[in-house]
Amino acid sequence: MKAWLEFSPKKVNKAIISDLMRDYDISFNIHRADITPKGGKMLVEISGNQSKEGVEFLEREGIHVSPIKRVVKKDEEKCVDCGACVSLCPVKAISNTEDWTIEVDDQICIGCDFCTSSCPTRAIKVTK
Amino acid sequence: MKTVDEINQRIKDGDAVVVTAAEMTRIVREDGAEKAAEEIDVVTTGTFGAMCSSGVFINFGHTDPPIKMTKTYLNGVEAYSGLAAVDAYLGATQPNRSPDIGLAYGGAHIIEDLIRGEEVELVAEAYGTDCYPLTELKTQITLDKLNQAIMVNPRNCYQNYAAATNSTEETLYTYMGTLLPQMGNVTYSSAGELSPLLNDPYFQTIGLGTRIFLCGAEGYIIGEGTQHSTESERKNGVPVSPSGTLMLKGDLKDMDSEYVRGATMPKYGPTLYVGAGIPIPVLNEDIALRTGISDEDIGCRIMDYGVPRRSRPPVKETNYQELRSGVIELEGQDVPTSSLSSYKKALEIAEELKAWIDKGKFLLTNPVEMLPSTGQSVNPLEIRRPFILVKDLKSKKLILAYPTDDISHVAKKMVQNNINHLPVVDDKHKLLGIVTSWDIANAVAKGKNKLMDVMTKKVIIAREDEPADVIARRLDKHEISGLPIIDKDNRVKGMITAEDISRLIVDGPDDEEEGD
Ligand code: SF4
Ligand code: SF4
Repeated sequence: MKAWLEFSPKKVNKAIISDLMRDYDISFNIHRADITPKGGKMLVEISGNQSKEGVEFLEREGIHVSPIKRVVKKDEEKCVDCGACVSLCPVKAISNTEDWTIEVDDQICIGCDFCTSSCPTRAIKVTK
Repeated sequence: MKTVDEINQRIKDGDAVVVTAAEMTRIVREDGAEKAAEEIDVVTTGTFGAMCSSGVFINFGHTDPPIKMTKTYLNGVEAYSGLAAVDAYLGATQPNRSPDIGLAYGGAHIIEDLIRGEEVELVAEAYGTDCYPLTELKTQITLDKLNQAIMVNPRNCYQNYAAATNSTEETLYTYMGTLLPQMGNVTYSSAGELSPLLNDPYFQTIGLGTRIFLCGAEGYIIGEGTQHSTESERKNGVPVSPSGTLMLKGDLKDMDSEYVRGATMPKYGPTLYVGAGIPIPVLNEDIALRTGISDEDIGCRIMDYGVPRRSRPPVKETNYQELRSGVIELEGQDVPTSSLSSYKKALEIAEELKAWIDKGKFLLTNPVEMLPSTGQSVNPLEIRRPFILVKDLKSKKLILAYPTDDISHVAKKMVQNNINHLPVVDDKHKLLGIVTSWDIANAVAKGKNKLMDVMTKKVIIAREDEPADVIARRLDKHEISGLPIIDKDNRVKGMITAEDISRLIVDGPDDEEEGD
């Protein structure tokens, strides 16, 4: 599951994440982090059998968890399957199929917007 | 040996054997060129790429009272009207005149909209004459109402092209797409083994008058394109760098929006994706062999677009098989690659053209004249004003600061010398950072007193051998007013400011001997 975690400054220094990984046997992949003294936001990928319990734990600790659904969408009418976006994606969410159609996997996408601003036909959009 | 007329007869009889260039590669590999030459009559090629040098001649028709248009705008995009009264040429890369729209919707987008049958606003201005009294007009047009709308593209279908990467620290936005810093990606644009001029590398069959597929319509080659060149280095018979080009013509009214697309290269500008397919008659074994070329056999040089000069250094020589694999090794790293042209559409075009020929709808032509195949090279444009390098600029007294310097001491130095930027260096004068008067003010306000804590470590620099115009653009892009000049050993040699450059542009360099 992919989600934004939002936390207040007080939490920045607490060892919540390591507790989470230890107590719930969760693997945790940070895609983006934006942490300032005023608190922070992190885009993470949480996986493991107890992810649900883990998320509940985070909520109890005062971290706001907002799961992401369908982040990236490609307008097939506009897209010309050039592939300009492929090498720009930092997480390899964009690839080509056997017949050279360009596909975007929104399960992998982290919504960085790199592809959207670089698509020559403006075919690709990220909805947040 | 076959002739075009014989092949045409077979097309009419429904007996011609037509394959795409991708299929031909397999056939020649498996059966050899001799057998392929006997069995195959036509090879269809295809490409669908961003081709900036494209546009449309339009005749709007005469109004009542008549007007001799001197300026014309289509949905806010200017078309060149220095032609007869109601003729204009709309170029693909022309940006919108509205600054709010700018590069997002330009000439290429209008061409696509016209083909889609959409209404486009025409605004025209004129100075008025006795025979053409009207001085302005505003109306709506659609493609079917225009007398003519003829696509004439001065340079399409480049025979090979360089691939691009970027060694600098910042993202570059180029006609080769977005190039990530530190060679973060590689982009390329040729359709490789499907590309028309790579299948006829010596222009044995393609020439003036060749009938082609252009954006879904029947079009023609009307000669070599601009920047056509023939003297590039070859490998396996095909040039490894940009070489031959074609000038193409076709009727917009017959075109299909599937095979043409208005686009914008981010922060570069509008461009037109043009779909072109050229049939190659397999007249003999040599032509069969040439059309059998594979991605693996077509060389391509990766250039560093981080160097904003005409001749860029090649980073690596590769081939299209490697480029198309999606990753390429550069200086020990696996770097992702992106195609800028659509291989899928290129295949579709080759298939579509094949279907046209199979159905007997499309006949081949003998060129009226062959394209120049030797002795053509591209001349550069020399700027008369001498090329000024950073090191030619008169440098001021060099003022430096050291990381251990006291803030108040640095502040005093800046005030005394009336400067806003101060490079921070080590004892060998190697650049460590930069401080501005703003940093100093900030430090004082926050009670910091060591320079090390307030200087900016990531410094944008000017190198001694870079042209002053490139630096002007860099200052502008980063919205900064000064850069340290460094030599090849990273030692600070001086400072260059926006003021120094503008003075140069107004006065010219001091050592200039002739006026212009
Ligand atoms: S860059 Fe745009 S047009 Fe090209 S493949 Fe990606 S989404 Fe499609
Ligand atoms: S938004 Fe970012 S992560 Fe998502 S597909 Fe585009 S480049 Fe990849």
